[in-house]
Amino acid sequence: MESYLVYLAYAVAAIGSAAVYAALPRDGVAPRKSFLVPMLGLTIGGVVVLLDKFTGDAAKTWYSVLLVVLSLGGAVRVVTHPKPVYSALYFVMVVLSTAALMVVCGAEFLGAALVVVYAGAILVTYVFVIMLAQQSHLGTEAQFSMMVDYDRSSREPFAAVAAGFVLVATVAGVIAGRGASAANPVPPPVEGNTMALGRVLLTDFAISVELAGVLLMVAMIGAIAIARRRFPKSEETAAYQPGEIGRHVKPF
Amino acid sequence: MKEGFVLNSSALMLVGAMLFGLGVVGFLTRRNLIIMFLCTEVMFQGVLVNFVAMGQRWGNLQGQAFGLFVLVIAAVEAGLGLAIVVMLYRRRGTLDAEHWRTLRG
Repeated sequence: MESYLVYLAYAVAAIGSAAVYAALPRDGVAPRKSFLVPMLGLTIGGVVVLLDKFTGDAAKTWYSVLLVVLSLGGAVRVVTHPKPVYSALYFVMVVLSTAALMVVCGAEFLGAALVVVYAGAILVTYVFVIMLAQQSHLGTEAQFSMMVDYDRSSREPFAAVAAGFVLVATVAGVIAGRGASAANPVPPPVEGNTMALGRVLLTDFAISVELAGVLLMVAMIGAIAIARRRFPKSEETAAYQPGEIGRHVKPF
Repeated sequence: MKEGFVLNSSALMLVGAMLFGLGVVGFLTRRNLIIMFLCTEVMFQGVLVNFVAMGQRWGNLQGQAFGLFVLVIAAVEAGLGLAIVVMLYRRRGTLDAEHWRTLRG
């Protein structure tokens, strides 16, 4: 009964892989819009049809489907956009739509945490590092374009897309072959998601929460140890060159 | 939350698999170190969606609780990874992963 769903999942994965392959940055060659746009449209249509088959009625869940399309489209742009800042901003779109999807699906606290931690903290760190590491205002335009050549071309695009296709098609085929599960079989807790999650975290997973705190502190110390600049030990010996000592006369 | 109002767990797992696959493709193809780390974050998003779907399927909150721990791991990974990226950028003055291909052995 479900075998056609499996083939549908394979087909969607194949079309999506072709679209991603066409959209990946290549040496100075812009992706062909006449091929890319129909492929992306087909992929979106295929995903919507697949979700409709799984859920039973996509019309009732149209904004979940919209959020899914937004997050997948954002993820495609994260992967394929040649400019790192734009990639980071598209990743914000992925995070926000995924968080909204989680809120819709009854995981309110996780959605809120996703917005706070990912869009608020991690993404800011990424943008900081991108700004630190890309001095685009130095040098001419030609130097700049030579410098960021590694953003314009991709490494082994066909093999990577083939690997991604195999991965997604296998997983999607297994999921489709098992058949759709009942929608939300267990009613949400009456006390609300946040309170129930807090109860679970601080009773069943209390030690894990403490360990997560320790892990964060260790990572903070490690990041400081890795990324700090090595300043010379004493300032007096480093400030002056050998012949220079004594030339600078201090006023007092 | 009404019945039939949300995506069921199979559909969510499918979305998670697609996000993970996109992250894998990006990690393998892009040459900018920062974008490679960003693609691992896309993979984390797929994993998180999968955890929510699993919790929904089995009707408990352990999936979401584990998702919070995944969030912690993602924060740690971003901090340490970006520190390493900054260090590598200071050494060679470029973000191209191909400049470090001697590490391949």
